[in-house]
Amino acid sequence: MTAMTLTQSFVTALLQIVVLALFVFVAVPVIVFAERKVIGYVQLRLGYTRIAGGLHGVTGGLNRLMWWMGKLPFFSILRGFPSFIADGIKLFTKEDIVPEKADWWVFHFAPAISVVAAFTVLGIVSFSPAPLWTWPAAVPIVGGLPFAGVISDVNVGLLMLVGVASVGVYGIVLGGWASNSKYPLLGGLRSAAQIVSYEVPLTFSLLVPVVLSGTLNFTQMSQYLSGAPIQTSAGPAQMPALAILPLFIGFFIYLTCGFAETNRVPFDLPEAETELVAGFHTEYTGMKFGLFYLAEYANMIIVAAVAAAFFLGGHHFLPFGLQRFIPPSVPVVGGASFGWFLLWMALILFSYLWVRATLPRYRYDQLMHVGWKWLIPLSLANLCLAALVRYFA
Amino acid sequence: MFVFLEFLVFKTEEMEINLGPQHPSTHGVLRVKLRLDGETVVQCTPIIGYLHRGVEKICENKTWFQGQVWTDRMDYVAAVTNNLGWAEGVEKLFGIQVPRRAHYVRTLLAELNRIASHQLWLATHALDIGAMTVFLYCFRDREAILDIFEAFCGARLTTTAFRIGGLREDVPPGMDRMVRNFLKAFSTGIEEYETLLSENRIWKKRTVGVAKLQAKDAVALGITGPVLRAAGVPYDVRKAFPSAAYAEMDFQIATRPEADTYARYLVRLEEMRQSARIVQQCLDGLPEGPVMAKIPKILKSEVCEVYHSIEAPKGELGYYFVGEKGGANPYRMHVRAPSFVNLQALPKMTEGNLLADVIAAIGTLDVVLGEIDR
Repeated sequence: MTAMTLTQSFVTALLQIVVLALFVFVAVPVIVFAERKVIGYVQLRLGYTRIAGGLHGVTGGLNRLMWWMGKLPFFSILRGFPSFIADGIKLFTKEDIVPEKADWWVFHFAPAISVVAAFTVLGIVSFSPAPLWTWPAAVPIVGGLPFAGVISDVNVGLLMLVGVASVGVYGIVLGGWASNSKYPLLGGLRSAAQIVSYEVPLTFSLLVPVVLSGTLNFTQMSQYLSGAPIQTSAGPAQMPALAILPLFIGFFIYLTCGFAETNRVPFDLPEAETELVAGFHTEYTGMKFGLFYLAEYANMIIVAAVAAAFFLGGHHFLPFGLQRFIPPSVPVVGGASFGWFLLWMALILFSYLWVRATLPRYRYDQLMHVGWKWLIPLSLANLCLAALVRYFA
Repeated sequence: MFVFLEFLVFKTEEMEINLGPQHPSTHGVLRVKLRLDGETVVQCTPIIGYLHRGVEKICENKTWFQGQVWTDRMDYVAAVTNNLGWAEGVEKLFGIQVPRRAHYVRTLLAELNRIASHQLWLATHALDIGAMTVFLYCFRDREAILDIFEAFCGARLTTTAFRIGGLREDVPPGMDRMVRNFLKAFSTGIEEYETLLSENRIWKKRTVGVAKLQAKDAVALGITGPVLRAAGVPYDVRKAFPSAAYAEMDFQIATRPEADTYARYLVRLEEMRQSARIVQQCLDGLPEGPVMAKIPKILKSEVCEVYHSIEAPKGELGYYFVGEKGGANPYRMHVRAPSFVNLQALPKMTEGNLLADVIAAIGTLDVVLGEIDR
């Protein structure tokens, strides 16, 4: 690759950002649709098949579209998906209410903080091992340059991820506080305590692959999990077979904490609908609420991406470093690809929905109990195990 | 000595918060005023009356026949048992003998309604605690019961199922098949609820030992129904003062000694099973004969008073009638609504616990505001 000019690198990054943002804006409606559909299947019902608004105007068009989709063989499963257009229109056009006694600045900035933190983190996630495509030479400025699967392949990727992602909690806390209302305040405080508590075991469990491999970089981690030798600043490393065990334990700790970090069932206390009405975003309307919503789903995508990259084989087929048993020469399953990463992400996201349909919600003190008395000691022990594996192998 | 460091100490104050009347988990329009210290409840004051329609006063201006319509609208998820209490109370007042077949049909419908009411309770209680799938499973099975009611009297919720002196009409053809189908579906349905909840760690954490109400306190507060039985007191009006066909039925009173939310959950599940047994017995032993006694077109009372109570899904539902000479309507009518009495236990159950337990406690008491406010 020839050195890029400043303009070229700037434009490349900008294009990547646009594509990533579009990816998220498409992925979120897909997840929302999948959520309704998966829960619908668990609960033996159809999910939604039409939207309010009858047969006139935009909603009418969408209803007609959904009706036709129901007639077609494959699309009948996707019936209901077009309603995300209606959701979007609704969020953008709803009256934007700011409570009179709210702190105007904080109230407006809180959703932005959440969403900016979430999107920033996505910028360092490596979605694909190889460039997704190369721009044809005819394209001005970027012609002939590759389009990489990661915006910024930071060598301290994980550190940055944990650091930036934890800023997102400010959005929730400040949003709850700035609303100047009691339910949001309780929701915001709950969330502060919850996210701070679960950040600790989350980070400890993420340290397991870091200790084993000696890298914080997404791309290198993926190579390490495939069993290939890697060269890190901490020296060369190759995955020993024993490392599968701490990775396996660490994954489940990570996933549990990930559920808590994203305020999903069974840890959805900050927005516990039946207790706190809607928690921290009770007073938010329109697109400001939409941003919180977007941030929550973007955070789910991040948790899934990190789990895929650091525990489930990254861009490879088999999880927990089991990929080592498949030689790279085997077609499809032997290689690294964008598809495997998306597949693992999708499976993690599915587990979110599955759990949501199955489990009740913890109580606030029980949540703390689980976090501090179980997950933190467990993740510490697992970290020690990983250190031993690294030392002796 | 370190008074000058006082500014370092955080000033805390208690927060007053209104749970309701518009709130997802207050089951209607219950308003609970809470004083919170952090998330701990310091004081809990239920405030009622948002659904007051003056049913008792209205019934004083309706004839003995017409009043039953208003009982539908009290505990609107268990209208049939409300109807049963009214009809039997009035029959007791006038000394009307109801045919045996009518008693059986009444018992059958009342027990089906108990199952429906408990299913609605389980659905909303589980949803309050965050388990959303049970909600839809319960509603799916409850639908069959509502269909049976519809087949019997044309209405699904506000049934006005009975007449003074028996039933308006005999059971429609095909209803016994509907009931048998329901019983078959229900036996697997209840297994499904149990699979999702009974041994679920989070469900047990949220319910075991939560919102305790010991037998002593429960009796002192006049609590009845599953809440009392879950505290180990085997009081059931169906056994203690049997009416309708309950004396001829073989069933057990479900009790648990633990007196917590989980015990109430188990008691209600067992009650559903027992109700299914009673329904089965009613169906198998349904006697032949008329369904309506001979009664005059207009009932005129003497000076009298009567109290009649039945076991509604929520507890002891009592009707108190006072008649005057030649009265075509009650001189005074009063309802002992189980939800109204049971709600008194809420402060006792929640004070000192956490906010989330208040939600569990409201759910486990199974209050219906239509009945509380009347």
